[in-house]
Amino acid sequence: MVTAAIARQGWGISPGGYRRLFGRVFSVAVTLLGLLLLTFSMGRLLPADPVLTVTGAEVDRETYERVYRELGLDRPVWEQFATYVGNVLTGDFGRSTTTGHSVASDLLTVFPATMELAIVAILCGVLLGVPLGIVAAVNRGRLIDHVARIVGLAGYSIPIFWLGLMALFVFYAKLQLVGASGRVEVFYEGMVTPVTGLLLLDSAMDGQWDVFRSAFAHIILPGAILGYYSVAYISRMTRSFMLEQLSQEYVIAARAKGVPRRQVVWRHAFKNIRVQLVTIIALTFGGLLDGAVLIETVFAWPGLGQYLTRGLQFNDMNVVMGAVLVTGILFLTINTISDRLYRILDPRTR
Amino acid sequence: MAGARLAGFLMIAAAAFAPPASQAATPPNMLVIGTDLSLPTLDPAALNARTVSEAVSNLYDNLVQIPPDDLQTVRPMLAESWEVSPDKRSITMTMREGATFASGNPVTALDAAWTIQRVIKLGQVGATDIAAWGFTPENVDSLVKAVDERTLTIDLPEPVSPDLVLYSLAGSSLGIIDRQTALEHEVHGDLARDWLKGNAAPSGAFTLQQYRPNDIFIAQARDDYWDGEPAMQRVIMRHIPESGSLRLQIEAGDVDVGHYVASNDLAAFAESDEVTIQNVPGFGFYYVALNMKDPDLQKPLVRQAFQHMMDWEALSRSSMRFYGFPWQSIVPKGMAGAPEEMTTKFNFDPERAKELLAEAGYPNGLRKTLYPAGAAHLENAEAFQASARLAGVELNLVPGEHVPDFRARTFEVYMGNSGARLPDPFATAMHYAFNPDNRDEANLGGYYLWRVAQEAPELLDLVERSKTETDPQARAEMFAQMEAHYQTMDPALIVFFQRTDPYVVRNEVKGYQGHPAWSTRWAKVTKE
Repeated sequence: MVTAAIARQGWGISPGGYRRLFGRVFSVAVTLLGLLLLTFSMGRLLPADPVLTVTGAEVDRETYERVYRELGLDRPVWEQFATYVGNVLTGDFGRSTTTGHSVASDLLTVFPATMELAIVAILCGVLLGVPLGIVAAVNRGRLIDHVARIVGLAGYSIPIFWLGLMALFVFYAKLQLVGASGRVEVFYEGMVTPVTGLLLLDSAMDGQWDVFRSAFAHIILPGAILGYYSVAYISRMTRSFMLEQLSQEYVIAARAKGVPRRQVVWRHAFKNIRVQLVTIIALTFGGLLDGAVLIETVFAWPGLGQYLTRGLQFNDMNVVMGAVLVTGILFLTINTISDRLYRILDPRTR
Repeated sequence: MAGARLAGFLMIAAAAFAPPASQAATPPNMLVIGTDLSLPTLDPAALNARTVSEAVSNLYDNLVQIPPDDLQTVRPMLAESWEVSPDKRSITMTMREGATFASGNPVTALDAAWTIQRVIKLGQVGATDIAAWGFTPENVDSLVKAVDERTLTIDLPEPVSPDLVLYSLAGSSLGIIDRQTALEHEVHGDLARDWLKGNAAPSGAFTLQQYRPNDIFIAQARDDYWDGEPAMQRVIMRHIPESGSLRLQIEAGDVDVGHYVASNDLAAFAESDEVTIQNVPGFGFYYVALNMKDPDLQKPLVRQAFQHMMDWEALSRSSMRFYGFPWQSIVPKGMAGAPEEMTTKFNFDPERAKELLAEAGYPNGLRKTLYPAGAAHLENAEAFQASARLAGVELNLVPGEHVPDFRARTFEVYMGNSGARLPDPFATAMHYAFNPDNRDEANLGGYYLWRVAQEAPELLDLVERSKTETDPQARAEMFAQMEAHYQTMDPALIVFFQRTDPYVVRNEVKGYQGHPAWSTRWAKVTKE
C-alpha cells in the first residue's frame, strides 16, 4: 500500500524542489553542527580529564604530558573542534580512549545491536499498544478502558532499571526461560559472521538455528521491556485517534446502516488513523533507539546506549560526539521519512 | 474458529522460538568471568586497570612470577634461573628450554630483551614500574641485552635493590611478547603498538580468540603450553556492568567468577554456601586528603581534628566490609616494616575534634568542600560528611570525577584510594612519603604527597635510601622508621583502610586465586 502510494506520487524533484532540497540539507547540516558544538562544549566543561582515562591516576608527568599531546589537547580549543569537524566530514570520528578502536568502526558494531533491540521493542510496542488503544476506544469508560489506562500509566511510572532486574529475576533466574547478558549464549559467540549486524537475521540467513534460538532468548526480554515503555504512548495516541474517528458522521451513518461493529472499526475508522499511527510509531522508534541506555546496562547489551554511557563515564569525548551525531542524524532521518510518508499517505497534507 | 487458528499459530511459534533454558552451569572445561570490560588496549605496555591486567597475564608469561600466596618469593617462569652479580648491579637470566609462543616460535632471550626495551621506549603506563629504576629509551638497548638465545643480561643503571627489579619483571606489563609476530604488524616504527591493542602475540597459557571492548573477551587454551595444557579450554570474560544482573547470573551458575560486585550483593553472597568471596588484599589505601595549600588545612591542629572525624568502624561494617579493612599505616599489612597490629591513632571522636578546632581558632567549626575521587567513593564521602558534621565541620560534597583536581592540587578535602602493582612497601611509599619538590612548577602530580603539598624531608630520605638498600633487614627497618614517623606527624594523607579486591568464586571452581598485583592466572584452574 505504502509502496504503491510512493510509486504514484514519485520521488522526482520538481523544478522548485531543488531549492527546497538545498534548504533542507542546509538546515540539517546546521542542526548537526550545532549539536556537535554543544556536545563539544559540554565535554570541555565536564570536571574530568581524558588523559587519565588512558593512563590511570598514578601516571608520571612525562607520560601524562605525552598522552596529552597525543590526544591533541595541547592545541587551541577552536582548532581541536575545527579539526574534529573536518575529520568527521571524511568519515573519521577519531579514536576511542576506552575501547582503543576507531569510533567509526565501534559505531558500526554497536549500532546494529541497538537497532535490533529497537526493532523487537517497537514490534512488541505496536502489537500490544495499537490493539490496546483500539479496544480502549471502542469500550470507552468500561473496565477494559481503565485497564488499558493502568497498563499505560505503569509504562510511564515504573523505573525501567527496576523492571529489568525484576524481569530477569522471574524469567531468567526463576523460570529459566530466557538468557541474561549479551546478545547470545557464550558458547555461540563468534559463530556467525556479521553481514547486517542484526544477529537474528544473520544467524537465520546462515542457517545457524541454535544461534538464532539463543539470540531470540536473549533479545526477547529486553526487547519486550523496552517495547512496554512505548505501549503507553502508542496506546494512548491510538485511543485518542480512534475516539475522534468513532465520533465522525460517516461512522455513525455506517452503524445506522447496520454495518457490523468490527467492520466499522477496522475497515473504516482504523483505515483513517493509519497515517497518524505511522508518524507516532516512527517517532517512538527514534525514541527507542535513543532511550535504550538503561536497559542495555541491565542486560549488558553491547549497543549504542551502553557505548555512549561508557563514553560519558570515562569522558571519552570522541565516543560521546560520535554517538550523539549518529543519534542526531537518525532523528532527522526518521523525522524526514515520517514527514514524507505522511504527505504521501494523506493527500490533504501535500 | 479464528481464535483456535490463532492459538494454534501461537503454539507453533512458541515451539519454534522456544528459547533454550538458561544454562544450569557453565561447561566443565570453560570458565566464565563476569567483569567490567572497558579495556582500551590489550598491549601489556599500556596496562592501567585490574581486568585488563588479569586478561594480559594469561596471554603473556613473564620472566618470573610472584605467586599470590607468597608475595616475597620470586619464582621462575620463562626464565628458568637467574643470578645477581656480586656488586648487585647486574642480573643474568637463563631462559626456559622448550617454551614457545602461540605462533610456534621459540621464546628466546632476544624476545625478552625486546619486550623490556619496548616497554621503556613506548613510555606508556606499563613503563611506570620498571622505568623507576633508571632505564630510559636512550640507555635501555645497551643495558638489557640478549647474550645468546637463552641468556639475558640486565644491567642496572643506578644502584637499586635487585629484588625490586625482579618484582617489576613479574608485573603484567612485562609479559613477554612474540617479537617476530609483533614486528610483522609494525606500522611506522610503532613497535606494533596499534596492532597489539586488539590482538595478541602470546607466550602464555592462552591465546586470544575474540575481543570486543565493553562486550566479550575469549581466550583459548594452548595445547602446546610449556607447563601443560590448561584444564579450562576457554576462558570467557563478559562485560556485565550491573551488579544485580551479575549476581543473578552467578547464582544461576552461568557465571563462575564475578569482579566488581557491589557491597549489598556481596553481603548476600556472604550468606550463600554456593560461592566464596575472596577478599584479596591490595597494595593501596583508602584515605582522606587535605590540601595544605589551603591556609586552614595548613594548621596541624586542624589536620589533627580531621583524624578524629571518620567513623571508620561503622564504615568497616557497611560499605567497606568487602573493599578494605581498617589500617592506619602507610606500609601495607604483612609487608616488611608494617606494624603487627593496626594503631588506633585516628579514632572517631567528634568531641575531641571540636576541641582541637576550637584550639586552632575555629570555635564555630569550619566549612570545606569535599571531593570524592569518583562515583565509587560517594557512599563513603556521604558517611564522612555526616560524621564530620558532628564535629562542627560542614563539608560541601561535590560529586563527580575529581582525580584531576587532586592531581592539580585544586581541591580542599578529597577522598579516594590508591593502587600499586609492586609487592614491596617502596611502591606505596612513593605515593605517601615521597615529595622531592613541593613547588607548584615542579608539577609532580604522580606523587600523592606533592598533591597535598606536604613536605616530609625525613620520609623523603628514607624512601630514597630504601630504593638502593639491598639488605632485607636494613630495608625492613627503613620502612618501620617511615611508619613510625607517619605516626608522629599530622598527615595531610590520612589513611583509614587498606584496600581489598573482592572476587566472588563459585565453589565448584578450584584454583582461581585473585592476585594482589592483579595477575591472576587461569592455567591451573579446574572445576569439580
